[in-house]
Amino acid sequence: MGINSKINIVIAGVGGQGIITLSKIIGDAAVKENVKVLVAETHGLSQRGGSVEVHLRIGDVYAPLVPKGEADILLSMELIEAARNIDYLNQNGIVITSDVILRPPIPGVKLPKKEEIVSEFERNNIKYYIIPTKDLSEKAGSYLSENMVLLGALYKLADLEKFISIDSIKESIKTMRNPEINLKAFELGSSFITGI
Amino acid sequence: MSNILQKPGSKVLLMGNEAIARGFIEAGGGFASAYPGTPSTEIVETLSEIANSLGIYVEWSVNEKVALESAYGASISNVRALAAMKHVGLNVAADALASISYTGVKSGLVIVSAEDPSMWSSQNEQDNRYYGMLTYVPVFDPSDPQEAKDLTKAAFDLSEKLSHPILMTPTTRVSHTRSNVILDEIKPPKTKGFFLKDNSRFGLVPANSRTLRDKLINKWNSIKESLENFEPYNRIENIENGKVAIIASGVSYQYAKEVLNEIGNYRLIKISTPYPLPKKFILKGLEDIKRALVIEELEPIVENQIKNIVNEEGLDTEIEGKSYVGYSGEMSLDRARKAIKEFLGIHVKQTNIKKLNLSIPNRPPSFCPGCPHRGTFYSLKRAVNSLMIKPIFSGDIGCYSLGINSPYDEQDIILEMGGSIGVANGLSHVAENQVPIAIIGDSTFYHAGIPGLVNAVYNKSPLLLLVLDNMTTAMTGEQPDPSSGITAMGEETKTINIAKIAEGIGVEKVVVFDPFNIKESTDKLKEVLSYVIKEKKPAVAIAKKACALNAVRIANKIKVEIPIYQILENKCTGCGICYNAFACPAIFVKDDRKAWIEPSLCTGCGVCVQTCPYDAIKPVKIIDKRWDSIWE
Repeated sequence: MGINSKINIVIAGVGGQGIITLSKIIGDAAVKENVKVLVAETHGLSQRGGSVEVHLRIGDVYAPLVPKGEADILLSMELIEAARNIDYLNQNGIVITSDVILRPPIPGVKLPKKEEIVSEFERNNIKYYIIPTKDLSEKAGSYLSENMVLLGALYKLADLEKFISIDSIKESIKTMRNPEINLKAFELGSSFITGI
Repeated sequence: MSNILQKPGSKVLLMGNEAIARGFIEAGGGFASAYPGTPSTEIVETLSEIANSLGIYVEWSVNEKVALESAYGASISNVRALAAMKHVGLNVAADALASISYTGVKSGLVIVSAEDPSMWSSQNEQDNRYYGMLTYVPVFDPSDPQEAKDLTKAAFDLSEKLSHPILMTPTTRVSHTRSNVILDEIKPPKTKGFFLKDNSRFGLVPANSRTLRDKLINKWNSIKESLENFEPYNRIENIENGKVAIIASGVSYQYAKEVLNEIGNYRLIKISTPYPLPKKFILKGLEDIKRALVIEELEPIVENQIKNIVNEEGLDTEIEGKSYVGYSGEMSLDRARKAIKEFLGIHVKQTNIKKLNLSIPNRPPSFCPGCPHRGTFYSLKRAVNSLMIKPIFSGDIGCYSLGINSPYDEQDIILEMGGSIGVANGLSHVAENQVPIAIIGDSTFYHAGIPGLVNAVYNKSPLLLLVLDNMTTAMTGEQPDPSSGITAMGEETKTINIAKIAEGIGVEKVVVFDPFNIKESTDKLKEVLSYVIKEKKPAVAIAKKACALNAVRIANKIKVEIPIYQILENKCTGCGICYNAFACPAIFVKDDRKAWIEPSLCTGCGVCVQTCPYDAIKPVKIIDKRWDSIWE
């Protein structure tokens, strides 16, 4: 089994941010390409504004869950959730995260600041990309397209091309409501990475 | 078109539960019933969406017991039927199940009990494979979505052939995993049949039951025999390799398979029928094997049966399992890897785990912005504080279980569906100078709450029953219930009025209030609590308001603009009541302690306006006249 015969992605976020939709888009595209995919979601209680994780595995894979320390990519719709799930990342793994911070509705809760999280990434030699998903989604036409901005960045940064063509991803996005906005968001996410 | 109806040969992405639904229609199923519960809900939810186009009958039953009884009724009238529930739901349906195995069935009857190891959304992680042993019902456990579909179809065929029910126990990682599924032909459903009377078989009076019990024992032998050749669901991989074997059941097979891909092709015995285990198949798998490790989640069901087989046959094969794998929680790749490597004496390398030096706050699920429960819990706290009483909040299963969290802390006990009222009944006769308040939702009240209320009236129990009626089964994703006025198949139906039920039972004090009105809610709750204390009788209060998720959906559909609220900077003093005591997730605190309402999260309920002592919250625009009626 070759070292790159599979890819492990952990997608994190807050219930309601659209990470299940995001993972379904990739899953659908993988099926179109006849590539084995496993998308395991943790919801139920968590859809009510709690932390949500989706484990996405592509290629020569059987087990639905990514173990701690074995994710190639940690993709997060929220910065604190990125920090929370850092233990999934493997030694060369990369973090792709939105810059959005959402406060958990707990009285008197203390939150780490963006700068603190970033400096911890750097102290641990973690390769990270922080994407202004909110700005870019509004530019695309709706703040509901933040997940597609992140998908655009993911496609540029992960080795997804080996498994799934960009056409299949775009075909999947076209099945969403408001395909134009979502496609534009995907492009903006991609070109943000190209522009770095 | 939904993936579930794609044509045969299509390769589609399906969630395990959707795959079970597809298996049902490929088997020509005509009747499906369920009570929603994570991780089982999507099975019947998927079927409800396609019921009219296929002409099948689908219902949300009032509870799991009724769901199973109904599916049984269809099966003995020659229509293939499925009943779905979460694992703890089978406790409710167990009374029916234990007797169904005595009468057997006619057309295929498959009961799906979705298991939840690790308790992602459940109160316990009981292993329902034990129900197979208890009730003489074969248990099938698929390992992935493709197999969930195929095994469902196989289960229907076998159930019909054996005239016996079959229990399927997919776990969360099968039910809630999406993967590649290749579809087969949809069989035209048979939806009407005929019940041929035979009360010596279907009427379980003791004389009949004694005869049927003996028949069941004999039948069980033929059931075991029929599972001996059950490929590809039970199969032996790498049979050319002897000495050691890994035996894996259900989803654990997928974990074991990946570990063996990493470390070498040891013999792998795949089990999809954890009970009863086919003996000859197991013996074939254990040929030339000195040591075997059983990988399964939760209890040692497969392990103990194999140990029995090995004992009976006088083999010297060493069987291991739980001593390497452990009991609690779901399977994971590192857990399977560690167990298999330790069993084989291979060094287990520690993975480097990255750790940030940050304190990261928990993010528990919370009531949605606009959730009427927030207003109810806020007012309930004001009412008990103002009466200076000592309440015991006897809680229940639903979104309102989240009232256990701060700042509400208004769920002292949570056991099981409908338990709030029964427990409060006991408390009311014993706990001195404390006032039991049972808190339950509409769907849970219909499910198992009504007998508790009858009991409280009959036994003169001084308790307050607070029903949070949001006209839906909200926690599992807004499935309609008897308060919704609509069926699973989208037909209009009677709304079953909870206040009238309470009055009919004989509750003398019943009030209904609007949880979006804090003053009215607090006053009414004070009134009923005072009544319970003074009259020493049960009372019922009903908080009636739509689930915010449904209200917002309707507003978007009929194009009513959601009236977003904002904080008036000059009036806000940063007192924190709206974000700390009322704790709406749409309200954020700024660096200067003043509040900020996030427009993308606000659902326009306007309750925060009433909690603000400084009149600092106002709607951004004039509110649409139709807005209030959306929440009724």
